[in-house]
This record gives sequence, C-alpha cells and structure tokens, in this order.
Amino acid sequence: MSWPSFLFPTGAWFFLALIPLVILYFLKLKRPLYTIPSLVLWQAVINDQRVNSPFQKFRRNLLLLFQLILLCLIILALMQPFLGSGPETDEHVPVLIDISASMAATDASGRSHLEKAKELARALIGNLRGSGRIALFSFASTGRRLTEFTDDQYLLERALDRLQPTDLPGRLDDVLRMAAAYTRSFPIDRVIVFTDGNIDDLVDLELTFSLDVRRVEPGAANVGITELNARRTGPEDWDVFLRVAASSEDLLEAEVRLYHDGQLMAKDTAEVAIDESERFVFPIRSAEPLLLEARLVPAGSDSLRSDNTAWLSLPEARNLRVRVSPDLYSWRHAIHGLPRMDVDEAEQPQSVAYDLLVSTTQDVRETEVPVRVFIGVIPDELEDLVTQEDDFADVIDWNRTAPLLRHVQLREVQIGQKLIYADGAGDADLEERGFEVLVAGASGPLVLQKREGLEVSFWFLFHTDRSTLPYRVSFPVLVSNVVDTALRQASLSEVQSAPTGVLPPLHLEANREYVVRAPDGEESRLTSTTTGLLTGAPAGSVGRYDVLDSGELVASVGTGLLSPQETTLTAVEELRFTELNVATGEAEITMLDSDRPLWWLLALLAFVFLLVEWWYFQRARGVSA
Amino acid sequence: MSTASTQLTGLFDNTVLNRVERMRLNPRRRLTNRSRGEHLAGKGGSSTDFADYRDYASGDDIRYVDWNIFARLHRPYIKQFLHEEELHVVLLLDASTSMLFDDKLQRAAQLAAAFGMMGLLNAERVSVFASHQQVDQPSMLPPGTGRTRIRRLLTFLESIEGGGAVPVEESIETVLRFHRGRGIAVILSDFLTFSDLSRSLNMLYNSGLEIWGLQIMGESEVQPDVQGDLRFVDSETGSSLDVTNAGELLDVYHAQRNAMVTLLDGQCRRCSGRFLSIDTSQSLESVLFDRLCRYGWVSR
Repeated sequence: MSWPSFLFPTGAWFFLALIPLVILYFLKLKRPLYTIPSLVLWQAVINDQRVNSPFQKFRRNLLLLFQLILLCLIILALMQPFLGSGPETDEHVPVLIDISASMAATDASGRSHLEKAKELARALIGNLRGSGRIALFSFASTGRRLTEFTDDQYLLERALDRLQPTDLPGRLDDVLRMAAAYTRSFPIDRVIVFTDGNIDDLVDLELTFSLDVRRVEPGAANVGITELNARRTGPEDWDVFLRVAASSEDLLEAEVRLYHDGQLMAKDTAEVAIDESERFVFPIRSAEPLLLEARLVPAGSDSLRSDNTAWLSLPEARNLRVRVSPDLYSWRHAIHGLPRMDVDEAEQPQSVAYDLLVSTTQDVRETEVPVRVFIGVIPDELEDLVTQEDDFADVIDWNRTAPLLRHVQLREVQIGQKLIYADGAGDADLEERGFEVLVAGASGPLVLQKREGLEVSFWFLFHTDRSTLPYRVSFPVLVSNVVDTALRQASLSEVQSAPTGVLPPLHLEANREYVVRAPDGEESRLTSTTTGLLTGAPAGSVGRYDVLDSGELVASVGTGLLSPQETTLTAVEELRFTELNVATGEAEITMLDSDRPLWWLLALLAFVFLLVEWWYFQRARGVSA
Repeated sequence: MSTASTQLTGLFDNTVLNRVERMRLNPRRRLTNRSRGEHLAGKGGSSTDFADYRDYASGDDIRYVDWNIFARLHRPYIKQFLHEEELHVVLLLDASTSMLFDDKLQRAAQLAAAFGMMGLLNAERVSVFASHQQVDQPSMLPPGTGRTRIRRLLTFLESIEGGGAVPVEESIETVLRFHRGRGIAVILSDFLTFSDLSRSLNMLYNSGLEIWGLQIMGESEVQPDVQGDLRFVDSETGSSLDVTNAGELLDVYHAQRNAMVTLLDGQCRRCSGRFLSIDTSQSLESVLFDRLCRYGWVSR
C-alpha cells in the first residue's frame, strides 16, 4: 500500500486554523446553567461515564469534534492528496509526440489520434512528482523540441495544447537524435513516444536508452491518394498515374477527379481496401506546362482529409536540348538515334541553355546544364591525384547500379589510356573532393561522377574514341542512360508529385528574393541561388504554393501527403533499430501510471460530516424542545 | 384565619397531629438512660413491674426481700422489678442549601416535628439540632421532656432557615460534641455529600445512639428533567460541572442514585440502624402513617 502524497503540501499550514477554531469554540460555548442541590450524583455519573467510555471527553465536546473533523477534511482536500500508482520518479523523461499527418485521423467519435495522444501525455504529466522532469518533443518527418526538461506542469500542458497535426509523414530518426543528444547532459533511461504507429519502422540510430512506444487506438476508415506522377508518352502526351489506397478491410468507394485551374479534366471511381489499392491512368495532352490537382471525394466516412488532395506539375512538352562536341562522332551518332532530341553539334554553341552537354573540354563548365558528360578530361581539382599515360588499361570493376551504367557491360573493353593514382592517393581522396568512382581500372579510376546541387556530371577520364567502347553493344545503352538521366533532370520523361516537407527546387532568376505563399496564406521569403535555383521552401501543408516576385506570380507548385503508410493508417508493430527492435504497444489510459486524486473523496466526506452534524444537533434540539 | 388560629403548628394540620399523638417511637434496641423514664429497661429497676427473683446477697436492700418466700422456704430471696428508663431522641435536621430545593427542608421539619412530638408525648428527652451556616454553634433545641416542650419544639422547627454548605457528616460530629445520652438519632437529610459517612455513623453508634437515617430527596432529584448540554451548578459550593447530552445519562444517574441509597442503607444497618429514602412527592401522611409504620419505625 502506498501512502497518499499531496500536490499542494504547503496547504498543511491551514491546519493552524484549528487553533483559533478551538479557542473560539471554548470562548463562544455557552451552556445553560442549571442549579441543582448538589453535584454529588452527577459527578458520580460523569466519573462512571469516563471510566466506561474513553471517548467521553470527546463526546462532551461533540460539536467541537465535528467541526475539527470537518476542517481537517477540508484542509486535506485543499492539499490535493492523491494515491500514486508507482514509486516517485527521479528521472528525466523525454516525451515524443507524433504530429504526423495520420495523427489528424479521427475515430468514430470524432476524436483525432493527436487528441488521444495528448490525453495520454497529460496523464503522464499529471503523474509527474518527486524530482522527475519531462521534456516535450514533437515529430513528423523531423523533430522539434517544445520544452526543456521541466516539472512545471502548466508549461508542459500549455506546450501540449499548442500541438497541431501536420501534413507530413512520421519518422523517428531526427527526434530520437535530439533526445539522444540530451543524454550527455541528463541521466535519461527511457524515452516515451506517443504515436498512432504510422511511422517509418526503420530507424537509423543506435539506441542508448529504452524506448517506450505507446500507441493510441486506431481510427476509423480512411481513403486517400498515395501516388501521383506522370510519364511522357508522346511529344505532347502524358499519362498521369494516380494510386488510391484505403485503411479498411472493407471496400471503400471514392471518386477521383483531376482538375486544372478548377476545370475538371478527368474523373473515375475507385473501390479500394487495405490490400487492394487501385491505380488510375489519365491521359493528358498538353504542350504547355500544367499544374494538375487530384482530388478524392470519398463516398463514405473518411478519417483523414489531408491525403485527399495532391498536386502535380507537368512541364512544357519539348525536345531534349543536347550539346555535343563536333569531334565526338560516336556520341553524336548514338544520340541521333534517340527520339525527341534537339542536338547542337556546331563548332560554337548555338544556345546558352542545354539539358545535356557532352564535351571534351572543361571550358563549358560555367554553362548552366543539368547533366554534363566530359570525355577524356581529368578535372582540374583532381590533377594532383590522377595522371594519364599512354598505355593500355582494363576495366576491373564498375558500379552496376549507377543510373549511368545500368545494363552496361564493360568487361573486356580495351582502353588505350591508362589512369594512374598519384602516390598515396586513392578512392577516398576522390570522395573527399566530391567525386564518386563509377568505373575503376587496375591502377586508377576510369569514370567519375560528381553531383553539385541538382547538376550531375560524368567524367570519362579516358577518351572513348581511344577505347573499344563505341564498338560495343553497351555503348548505345550507355548513351541512352545519359539521355534518360538528362530527361529526368529536365522533367521531360516523367514527373513526380511533390510530397509535403520541402518544395522541390524551382528554376527562377538568379540571386533574387521571392515570396513563397503557402496554402494557409503564410508567406516566407527566399533568395534564389547564383544558378537561379530556389530551394528550401518549407511545405508543411498539402496544397498549392505560389511563388511571387514583387507581387507577381512567377511559379506555382503543389504538394500532397502521398504516403501509403499515413493513408492506410497502418501501425507498425516493431521499430527496427541498428542493433535491436522495439515493439510498439497499444496504450490505454488506464494502463498508464496515472495518479488517483482523493480530494473529491475528502470533500464528499466533509459534506457527509456536515449533514451528520446538522442532523445530530437538529435532532438534539428537537428532543430538548 | 380562623383555621390558622386553631392550628397548633404551621408544619401540619391538627388531624395529622392527633394521629401523631397516638404513636410512639419504636427503637430496635434499648438504648435508654438510667434516669427515670417510661421505657422499661432490664431487671433491677424500681418500677412496679415484677421481673424475677434472685438469691439474697450481702449488702442487698432488705426492703426487696420477699418475706412470704422467706417464711415458706426459710431462705431470703430478693424480688426484682423492671427499670423504667428514659429514651433520648436526637433529631438532626440538615438545613443546608441543598435542602431548600423542592421543599425538602419543609418536609424534614414536618417529620422532625412528628418524631419530636412522639418522643415528648411518651416522656422521652427530645433535642433538635439544625445544621446550616454555623458549624461550631449549631442551631439547637436543648434536650427536654414533657408536653410542655411541644410548643418550643414546634416553634424551633418553624423558625429554622435553610442555607449554608455544611456537610451532613460534619453536622453529625458537631452534634456529638453537644449531646450526652443514649437513644435514637434521627438524621433528616438528603445525604448528598462527597464524603464517606461511615465514620460519622460509627461515632453516633458508639455514643449510644441508634441511627435512623431518613433521606429526603426532591422531585427534581428523583426524576430530573434535563436534556442537552448543561452546566450544573452546585447550590452549596457554587462549583460547576459540564454535562453533554444530560438526557442520555439519566439511566446512569438513576443507577448512581440507587447505588447511593443502597450504600447508605448498608452503612446504617452496620450500625444497627435504619435507613429510608423518601421524596417530597410523597405526602407526609403516607410517610408517617404508612411507610414508617410498615417499616416498624413507629408504632401506633
């Protein structure tokens, strides 16, 4: 049995009020005087009563006794006693609260997952006692600290009240790293997570504390859009793909609509269940850029609204702009064989904007091109690491999963130039300078890849014309891979709908400040890079974001939740960490270490005592009368 | 007015007086005085009632020799007669403040008058002590006999004013300082004292007085009508006692009162005395002519 503790122990000072009560009682007590011949008999009566009843003294002052008990009960109720369900905590507990999109899902009663999680967290905060401290964190795709470690329940509850669900998928990595960072400053043995379980089950972190994951009850049925993308099928033709998924085992019906500028372009009806998602294809013909909005109109109940809308930007339908050095005959020949290409093979570049550049010199590095291929060139920054000799070299190994080398066979390719590492240099040195080795020879690298922002460059350190590569079947495949990469970079072959989180990079004017207006009207100011890229615009909500330049609309882009995990409301049963797995358990409020307040019981007892006192003295007065 | 003028005393009317005149005290033992009286004592007295014969011894008064027996038997025998001795009746009247409640003092005076008249009309020596304010010098009627003392007796009793806080045991001891003689000590009191009466009663007994304890209680003491929280004040000492829910304690009160009666009765009996508890709700006639007769205190 645990003794009650008090939330307001300093209220014990009110017990001093007993002293004036006793004094006032004896000062105010007026007994009627009754003169009798002698006290002999009554004294004997009282003596007899005292002997037979040790509480006679109290009975003589029954009114005082009642009043003392009444006052004691009221003061005890004021001190807010409670029965703790466990030992006092002296630990620092980070509490992580999931505010991902699925936490906005509601159950049949209309309560959202987040409200349930808040209720559980409030019970935990209410149970805070001793030297225990709680730090509140929220997390969706990233983490955010709401409070420092504190025992101020008002502060914690106020932070809790401010929490609202976001339109972002849930991941534990960031927030757990933040909590782990506190282990250097505080003795943290466990971290409590309140979630609905719709989080990425793979966590790239080594746990140094125990993780107590408490899942709220699952919500009602939900249906939503989980995929939205498009693939170019002709010069002006696109196939827009849209996938609808549901959380219920029963079939849910919904209407899928595709809008452009508020005009309905296509619609269809979906019947989906948790294991039966449905994929729709809407052919769209347009040469101009389009911003498509996909809307889902559920026929029945739908617990989550944020996944009913998604946006997709279709770029202008045009050919790939390719610049190829005129001396690269093999490359020109191979590129000409591919459809929808505008190839510039003149001596001097005819344009300043290309989607793909194939060159034998580094002179064009300043030109804005998303994908570049350098043939027979050693980057200036690697000249101290790699040298070239006129000798034969063999391909030892290559990265078969790299987009450039998919389905490319380099075995037995003869190369007439040999690349040699400088003394002491190696792959690690190249990686330090941002280069990745795609093809390695016996003495040095043969093909390198480097990413700079959205741009990617491939460096063939040997000249392909001095190898047997152009005569191999793999060469057109290699060129096709390069073109595919350029097409994807230019969004000319397929485009993906942007998920919530951060807006995709936008190509705008360089070094210019823009205003990004979110769907809720909130504006943020961002400046484009020297290359004209506007990046890092936050996009926490589903909807259309407008980019304004001096008040004029220059670009629009939309986002969608697009997370099958969130839409299907599937709770992960186990979180997989680097070294161990952590089971997630469904938490009930009654299962929590919740204190049982006793003030109401004492107040009720006080009221009963008041009634008994009133009845007793009314009865006694009635008898006397 | 005419009635009052014909009444011998204000204590009771003449009808009661007439009946009292025909009654006499009935002590358990022959505690009498040698002086001549109307009570027949043992053999060897000088009354005319023959008692017995005994052998003549040298020095006997030859006037008591039965000469007829001497003539027949030639041996002298002394003729013995019963004594006629005097009974001393001491009336001790508790006149403290407690006796002022419920006419207890009035009833005590009435009974004392009745006992006194019985004594005087039967040639006993009657003395009256009234204890109240003055402890060392009690108000008293000196011993006396004969019908002529009746007027003084009644006047004395009528003139007693109650008051004071003299406990009955102190009154007894004070009386014993003034009294000489054997007989009956009639104590008319409520016996409401915190002290033990055994010592005082033993002193009475040892001084040759048969103890007649007559406890006179008031109606408010026999059936107190009290309820709730009260502060009782002692009429004699002025001390107080807080009692909560007095009504609930009445059973204990009655038990204590009965226990006190039993105790006093036992103490009187141990001294070969008598004890009777009456209350003022009972009429004087019923006490005098019924209860006292039935218990053998007096005879008609």
